[in-house]
Parts: sequence; structure tokens; C-alpha cells
Amino acid sequence: MTGDSLLTLDQVAVGYGRHAVLSDVNLTLPRGSFSGLLGANGSGKSTLIKSILGILPPLTGRVEFASEAGRALALGYVPQRDVFDPVYLLSSFEVVLMGTCGRVRPGRRIDAAEKEWARQCLREAGAEQLSEQMFAQLSGGQKQRVLIARALATKPDFLLLDEPTAGIDATARQSIMDVLREIHARQRLTILMASHDLLVVRTYVEHVIWLHQGRIQQGPVSQLLTPANIEEILDLEMH
Amino acid sequence: MEMWREILDPDFLLRNSVYMSVLVGLACPLVGTYLLLRRLIFMGVALPHISSCGIAFAFAFHTWGLIPHMEEGEHTLALAGSTIFTLGAILGFSWFEKRGRSLIEASIGTAYVLAGAWSILLLVKNPHGEHGLLDRLKGEIIAVSNASLGWTFVVFAIVALTFFIFQKEFLLVSFDRETAVTLKKNVDFWNTFLFLLIGLTISVSVLSVGPLVTFGFLLLPPLIAHGFASNMRQFIWGATAIGGVSALVGFYIAYRWDLPVGPTDVALLGVVYVLSTIVNRSIALRPATAHKSSP
Repeated sequence: MTGDSLLTLDQVAVGYGRHAVLSDVNLTLPRGSFSGLLGANGSGKSTLIKSILGILPPLTGRVEFASEAGRALALGYVPQRDVFDPVYLLSSFEVVLMGTCGRVRPGRRIDAAEKEWARQCLREAGAEQLSEQMFAQLSGGQKQRVLIARALATKPDFLLLDEPTAGIDATARQSIMDVLREIHARQRLTILMASHDLLVVRTYVEHVIWLHQGRIQQGPVSQLLTPANIEEILDLEMH
Repeated sequence: MEMWREILDPDFLLRNSVYMSVLVGLACPLVGTYLLLRRLIFMGVALPHISSCGIAFAFAFHTWGLIPHMEEGEHTLALAGSTIFTLGAILGFSWFEKRGRSLIEASIGTAYVLAGAWSILLLVKNPHGEHGLLDRLKGEIIAVSNASLGWTFVVFAIVALTFFIFQKEFLLVSFDRETAVTLKKNVDFWNTFLFLLIGLTISVSVLSVGPLVTFGFLLLPPLIAHGFASNMRQFIWGATAIGGVSALVGFYIAYRWDLPVGPTDVALLGVVYVLSTIVNRSIALRPATAHKSSP
């Protein structure tokens, strides 16, 4: 692992059961970078994110994080919003409070300081007014803001988002991306965002990791997403 | 009114049955809320039957001549059979749940039908066991000893207290397993712990009131409460309160008209559920009213 890299993937294969979706993945993610994981539906973006988070153990290879002042990194995760069952009668605030559970010991109540921190995270994500509303009844864009607030409530060193702008309208998409850009600029937080939205990735992120047919290309937006490459990507996706 | 006074009198002959009904009415909905939240209602049907199969298996020890027939030891034997089978099944379901939705549904369905078949096969040649289990299947809650009531109270109190203390952890792993993993929670441990508490409650309840009544209290009060609750606290406490009150009112109706208590409780809950659904639908049909998704 290089001095300024936060994450290194070495010869990693990810997938479900014995079936590898991606293999021979070698990646390094610079500390403080805002990276986009670009690829079509089914290209393995979510699988790779889940393997980095430890939700799906990699089939082979090594996922290594740099330590932060001698402690393990705190990971903030924004999953796809449609995975949540509306049967849970939780307010947005209660959902955000879950982000503090990593610091609160089992059986202990969440104290006032953590509750205040959760409110602050809601403010940062522009979702303060949603605090008392039922999470299940929010629109797609509103849910995404609450989930970003929950990820911030973990006090993350590394924020990973899985398709945060999928299926939401253009205004909400821009507003969510503006929130992420502000958070990145203010905290220099390392962010990895999976997306199949080329425009979003091109507009907002610094580095791109492009997954296509099991191949991976990595580089700065200016180098990787040139007009010629974009044409090739779109052409490949269409065929 | 006179009959209410009689039922609530500490010297009432069937006072233990009243207390047992109310205990089951309070405890089963509490754990049933999690079966509803995790969409494992079918597990709520299967587990009481598996528990009954455990009781039938325990009674079969008499038939096979492995244990002499003794009136005092029957309750302990039945409790052991019920608990071992229920906890074994719940650990199996917990393992299958990790491996996917289709696997757990298939395993619950298989366990349900096999438990039913084996209960009958094991009891058909055992007159003592058949008599005992038939009472339980009918939901007769008449002969409840002080010891049995005391044990049930202790077990349910421990379960309720544990649910209260670890509600944060149970809710997190149920609502969003993946985030729980990223927060370094031992998801397998918390899931298994939750299922063990559910299994313990069901096995003790089946032993006291039978599978039909147990499933009725596991499912119907949470379903009724979910229609009206606007947060998790109201949902959980509402389900518990509906279960407790229905058990008491059900006992009154059964005593008043000389009916078996268990089926009366379940029938009453069914009526309340239908009425609550009608009220909910009419509220939802009003213009500009937000409504929730049904479980």
C-alpha cells in the first residue's frame, strides 16, 4: 500500500457463491479522493462495493485499508434505497440514529450527544426538515439524503455510496450530488460512489474506475472520460 | 359485571388459567412483532407445530419404555421436548435465512408439514400423550399449576426484559443487515439471539396453550397494531396491549358461554382484526390522508 492510498485491492475476485462477477481486481484509492465506480447494470459495481465493505467476503485476493491514527477505519455506507422494507415504522431521525450504533455498546441507550450529532448530520445532508417524517413515506431523493446523513453519523473515514442517484429526478439528483461535493470539499472525506450515470460521474468526481465486461480501467476523469472514450463506452453499452 | 368480579377475584378457581392466558397474550405479540417485521409469518405457523412435535416426541418415550409414566414429571418432559425441538428448528432456520429467502421458505414449509405428520404418528400409539396433546391442540387452558404459571412468568419476564435492553441491536440487524455489518456488529450472533428468544417464548407458550392459540397471538395483535401505529414503540407496545386485553376478554367470553378459552381468544382477535382493517381502509380512503404500506 502506498503512503497516500486509503484502500488497496490486490488480485481480488468478487462474486456470489462460487461465481466470480469480477476477478483480478487491482485498485488503489487515494486518501481524500472522490472516485466514481462507473459501469452498466450488472457489471459488478454493487458486488465490488459490498466486498470492500466486508458484506460479501472476496472470493480471492486481499482488501486492505490504511489505518487512521492506529485505529481501524470507520466506514460510511449508503445502500440502494429500495432495499428497505416499508413495514418498519421508523422516522428519518431514528434511521440516522442507527449510524451511531457502532459507537454505542450493546444494551446501552443512545445518549444526548449522539442524538445531537445525528441532528447535525441531518442538517449537513439538507434533510433536517425530514427528521420527524416516516422514512418509508419519503420520496427517492429525500430517502437518499437521510441515508447520506446516516452514513455521516458513523463519523466515517471512507464513504461508499451505491447508486445514490438512480431512479430520481434531475433536480433531486443535482441537489444530492451538490451535498456530496460540499461534504467532500469541507471534510476531504474519501468517497467512492457506484453509478451508471455517466453525466453525474463526469461532472462531480475526480477519479473514475470503469467496469466493463470484467475489465477495469482507472484514472482521472480528464484522462479516462475523453470524448473518444465516452463514445466507445456508449457504443459498447448500446451493443 | 358480576362475572368480571368473579374472574378477577384472587380466589377464583381458574385464576391461574386467567393469568396464563394474559401472560401468553402479552408475550407472544411482543416476539410476533419481529416475525412480522422480518416477513417470517410462516415461521410463526411452523414453530408452534414443531414445538408440539417436540412434546409428542417427549411423550413417546413412555411408549418406547425408555421413561416410566409419572404424572409429576410430565410437564418437565414436555417442556424439554418442546424447547429442544423449537430451538433446534430456529437455529436451523437462522442458518437457512443467511443463505437466502427461497431456502428459508422451503425449509419452514418442509418443517411445518413434517412436524404435523410426526406429531400424529408419535401420538397415535400413545394414549397418555394423545390425551395431553389433544387438550393442547384444542387450546384448553384449564389446569394450570402454580409452578407452571411461575415458570412461564419468569421466562416471559426474561424475554421481555431482553427485548427491551437489546431493542437497538435487534432493530438494526432486522432493518438493515448490511449496514450492521459495516458497523462491525456480529449480525449472526444478534440474529441467532433474537430467534432463540422467539423460540423460547413459543415453546413455553405452546406447552401452556397449544399451537393454535400461540400462532394466533404471535400474528394477529401485531397485525392489528401495525394498522394504527405511527412508530415502532406504538407498534410493539400496542401489539402487546391488544394481546393482553384480548386474552382477558376472551377468557370472559369463554367462561360466560362455556367455550374453550384458546379458540375463543383467537376468534375474538379475528373479529378485532377485521374491524380494525375496515376502520383503517375507511381512514385511508379519506382524501389527503397519508397511509402506510401493509405488512
